[in-house]
Amino acid sequence: MANLNIEFVAARVFEGKASEEKIKIVLDSVKKGKILVLESGFTVAEERDLIKATMPLISKGFPGIEVSTLSQPTPDLKSLLIKALGGSQGLTIVGPSNLVKKITKDPTKLNVIAGK
Amino acid sequence: MPFRKFFSWIKGFFGHRKSFSLGLYGQPGAGKSTIANRIAKEWTGEEMSTVSEVPHETRQVVKKEQIVISSNGKTFSMNLLDMPGIATKVDYKDFVKTGMNAKKAQTRAREATKGIIEAIKWLEHVDAALVVMDATEDPYTQVNITILGNLEARGIPVILIANKIDLKKARVDKIKDAFPQHVVVPISALTGENFPKIYEEIAKRA
Repeated sequence: MANLNIEFVAARVFEGKASEEKIKIVLDSVKKGKILVLESGFTVAEERDLIKATMPLISKGFPGIEVSTLSQPTPDLKSLLIKALGGSQGLTIVGPSNLVKKITKDPTKLNVIAGK
Repeated sequence: MPFRKFFSWIKGFFGHRKSFSLGLYGQPGAGKSTIANRIAKEWTGEEMSTVSEVPHETRQVVKKEQIVISSNGKTFSMNLLDMPGIATKVDYKDFVKTGMNAKKAQTRAREATKGIIEAIKWLEHVDAALVVMDATEDPYTQVNITILGNLEARGIPVILIANKIDLKKARVDKIKDAFPQHVVVPISALTGENFPKIYEEIAKRA
């Protein structure tokens, strides 16, 4: 069975970085075949920009990404406060779609099916 | 911005404009173009988009201007925008499976990626959106969440369309459970079932 490279990335890696930089760092790793688990998850605006940034990179060898974020569907006051203080939004999993076959989710869990 | 959102809610869905732009959003294959065609045909006599079984058939934003609709005693005018389906991946091999040669499939994949970028850019310009979901599929996908999250963040009025209710596998309740904050209109773009309900929901807020 082929190995999968899964990298868990601490929130502090992206501290003080603009969204564009965060997306670039993530896509650079994903293009190398890594599956990332981000402690500091993407916001919906960052996910939109991630999709937008992925599209020009798509080629024969890189068909795109699978991404999913586990976060509160309707943010409460506590999570808004955490967000305002620069805290984590939730957990994001992102990987190349030729390795991450499917991510299913519900509000409380993510299920990832990956393989070569 | 909560105050902006609250204000736009109070102001009403479309701010009582004479004409507004309504974007059809969703994942590829949800039935956006079939819906766009039915609406356009019914109110203008002409279809607006090409429909096929091949994914990413719509690879550019297709616009039909000044569609005048009457519903519930209200008449309003809108520009209907049929958006390319939004996806996180576009694999040329999926097109090869439909019978295309590799070169044509790669060209189509390239066009599809450009269409996705265009649809995403339009998220910031539409006045309202119909977010179309295939009721036979799991609605709780990251693409649907991302589309809705971005529209909600801008205070854009949204109506969810649960399409393909003519199919036995359709589960409208799953869409309602996944996105309880939005109105869900179950329809069949294929048979035309329940289309007046779409116009009603738009008219209510026009």
